[in-house]
Amino acid sequence: MMAVATIEHDAELMLRVREGDSQSFALLLAKHRSPVIHFLYRMIQNQAVAEELAQEVFLRVYKSRASYEPTAKFTTWLFRIASHVALNHIRDGKYERNQESLDQESDEGMSRQVASDALTVEQMMVREAKFGEIRRAIQLLPAKQRAAVLMHKYQEMEYAQIAAALECSESAVKSLLFRAYETLRAKLAHMAGHS
Amino acid sequence: MNPKNVNCPMQSGNAEILLSYCARSLEPEQVAQIELHLSACAECRAWATEQKTVWAAMDAWEAEPVSADFDAALFARIAAAEKPSAWERWSAPWREILRGGMGWRPVLSAGVVALTLVIALSIENPFRREPVGQTVKLEAQEIEQAERALEDLEMLRQLEPPEEETSL
Repeated sequence: MMAVATIEHDAELMLRVREGDSQSFALLLAKHRSPVIHFLYRMIQNQAVAEELAQEVFLRVYKSRASYEPTAKFTTWLFRIASHVALNHIRDGKYERNQESLDQESDEGMSRQVASDALTVEQMMVREAKFGEIRRAIQLLPAKQRAAVLMHKYQEMEYAQIAAALECSESAVKSLLFRAYETLRAKLAHMAGHS
Repeated sequence: MNPKNVNCPMQSGNAEILLSYCARSLEPEQVAQIELHLSACAECRAWATEQKTVWAAMDAWEAEPVSADFDAALFARIAAAEKPSAWERWSAPWREILRGGMGWRPVLSAGVVALTLVIALSIENPFRREPVGQTVKLEAQEIEQAERALEDLEMLRQLEPPEEETSL
């Protein structure tokens, strides 16, 4: 019931944006900014590029306001745009070019994250290694599997929503998720008890 | 009934229910049913344990904080994108006329007439061949002058006395 109210509210805000209310756009941005950027960051694994792509996503949302129709959940529509932007970025080969700078940047990010906790040097090293392993395991997934897993795990989207966002069938999504988690289990299952 | 044999997700090709169980997105009755099965099925239990490990490992991957100037940069991009191009600025009054109360038929008719004139003039030009016509005219004048000169010479010759008579 709560979810339905939220969906209606987002769609209502977008309809107000369509009528020229820029304040409603600011509200939508405030609510969905972080989830979109985090999704793109985990897809591309480069914070600067993720923010650039997120701007592209919200720019497209704003430009599409005139033709917006609330036929699907707002988040589904939003993540369809975000997935398109991310998959196009990867397909165009820009993703590979970013990989060299990615390692350095991600290590810095990891250090920032870990340093915030009060851990011993040894604990920090273990966490860094674990974090790097998770990041690499996800990075090696095919792009569409990666998108499906990230939407399933971090956005808690249902199969139908992921299917709509990736423009495929629900059974295709289940297959994508099953194969992706199979790969991740093979690579990460040894971590049991490490945390 | 043996819980091991009841609706084994792995055997019945319904592993997604195990995935949903590990993602904690099942209803309480379904959770109870799956846990009953897991207590008896080592294969599903091992699968679920591995999946929970992956799930927990992924939880550890926190995203980075968003830049403070993200919104400002976005609104600047929106403002730039919304700014009309030179063509849009130039064509705006014309589009307004076409869209407006004047009606588009008279404007369109005038436009068609103007376009026809422009095309007619541009087609006319190549056939006029102004320089070539002038050359032909000049050549004709030169021939005419030469003919006149010959006629004048002939007339002078006729006026002159015969050469023999002069010498005598």
